[in-house]
Amino acid sequence: MESSIQRLDPDAEVPEEAYDVDVVDLDFHVNPRQEDLKAYVEDDRALDRLSTEFGMWPIPDKWDAAYAIDEGNEGLFTQGRAEVAEDVYEACERFAIDEPIVNAAINGLPHQHHPVLKNAVLHAGNSYMLDHFVDEGVPTALSIPKWDVDAALAELDRWGDEDGVVAVYSWFDPREPWGVEEFDPVFEKLESLGLPLLLHGSLAFWPQHSYIGDEMLTWTEVLGFDWPIHTMVNAVNMIMRGVFDKYPDLNVVFQEGGHWWIPFLRYRMDEFYEMHPEDVQITPRKFESGEHYLQRSPSEALRDNIYVCTQPMALPRNSTEASSMLELSMASDTFCYSSDWPHQTLDPPTWFFTNRAFTQDQELRDDVLSNNAREILRL
Amino acid sequence: MTETETDTEAETTTIDGDEYVAVAGTDEIPDGRGIAVDVGGIEVAVFNADGEFYAIGNRCAHQRAPLCQAGSEKINADHTWTKTRGRVDAEECTVSCPWHLWKFDLETGLNEASGKRVASFDAAERDGTVYVHI
Repeated sequence: MESSIQRLDPDAEVPEEAYDVDVVDLDFHVNPRQEDLKAYVEDDRALDRLSTEFGMWPIPDKWDAAYAIDEGNEGLFTQGRAEVAEDVYEACERFAIDEPIVNAAINGLPHQHHPVLKNAVLHAGNSYMLDHFVDEGVPTALSIPKWDVDAALAELDRWGDEDGVVAVYSWFDPREPWGVEEFDPVFEKLESLGLPLLLHGSLAFWPQHSYIGDEMLTWTEVLGFDWPIHTMVNAVNMIMRGVFDKYPDLNVVFQEGGHWWIPFLRYRMDEFYEMHPEDVQITPRKFESGEHYLQRSPSEALRDNIYVCTQPMALPRNSTEASSMLELSMASDTFCYSSDWPHQTLDPPTWFFTNRAFTQDQELRDDVLSNNAREILRL
Repeated sequence: MTETETDTEAETTTIDGDEYVAVAGTDEIPDGRGIAVDVGGIEVAVFNADGEFYAIGNRCAHQRAPLCQAGSEKINADHTWTKTRGRVDAEECTVSCPWHLWKFDLETGLNEASGKRVASFDAAERDGTVYVHI
């Protein structure tokens, strides 16, 4: 039929201007299927146990994000699931993403019990990613286990200098924080390889066996706030324990840990440290080096070495308020855009073209959308 | 009983004294899907919910996702449970956003959880054509 009205392009999902700007997505999840991963499990004994009637993940959760949304566990795949490079390109075209940094997102691993089986699955996931993404030219973040430093170093030895591996992916969780000295060999290796460490939230939070955790009954509490709280704990732990004095070229990116807490840390860390600096000398790294104080103020380390992914942006609608928060958060130095594709928490790059905090400050927009990420990734 | 008067040249029709504009043939909007049209500068999403047609603002009140994409197929849909990005629910008379599943009432445009709403418009089907009143 003829019509005087205009039919709109159904594929135009984000503002047209987004296609004219460089967009690097620092958290794009690929979801290999279990049967595909099993083909990459090299040890027959591990494969045998991973193929029992219990499957790969025999530990039941106490609580599940599925309660929080209408489609239950499908929230993990609200946009679908990328299994090969072509799937990633298709999704990126829809959301004007130029450079997706893909990861295998096996975020249930830290939550699992058995170290040998966990390592076998992690190893298989990296092999899958090497075959299907690195070799296809998709910039990739491969995974290292937090629970096994030797295995982490073995993984880095296996693929750390591969072209196309642009970052290393691991997790923060309710267990020991990343400032602990046992991680030093990993930090040293990452510095020498020139690879940033991406730390993603882990499902290890979700069946929490703690008084506070057990009383968290909503996704808003767990994902919205427990993850950022533990991100803060890890960031402060790394800074105050001297990680970035010992490894000044190490860059750490927290993913899905929130970002608006940066002003709080920035000012509170400096205030507290300047008032109470004498215990730094007896933290293990400083004790060993004989240094008395941190080499930089805590907020300088925060600005120089720590980055945060923006998803979900949660930007104030009022652009003046948004600009103030971005300034206080040192966003031009610390924020990196991330979509979290394909999850229900997806954050397409719309804010950058609809809020005057970005449309009137294109330098800031470009820093967040791509410059900061390109500065630290081994692209 | 409604009174209908059609003006085919202007592609409008009058229903109960209000002017409606033709936006599509009924066969252009499959059951469970939607299209987006620009009517006088207003982006309108028109949905087919089990043969009933509804029109609401096309941009989600949350992050301006195109609601007309509700029900579109996911990437590797066969390896997911629901197969589609958001969906039209004829029984509930709702559409859920393809990005974050915000659910809007197709008649009122209301998202109950937030209290926010998108615009809603009257829609009608006459002789194989879908009309919207702005």
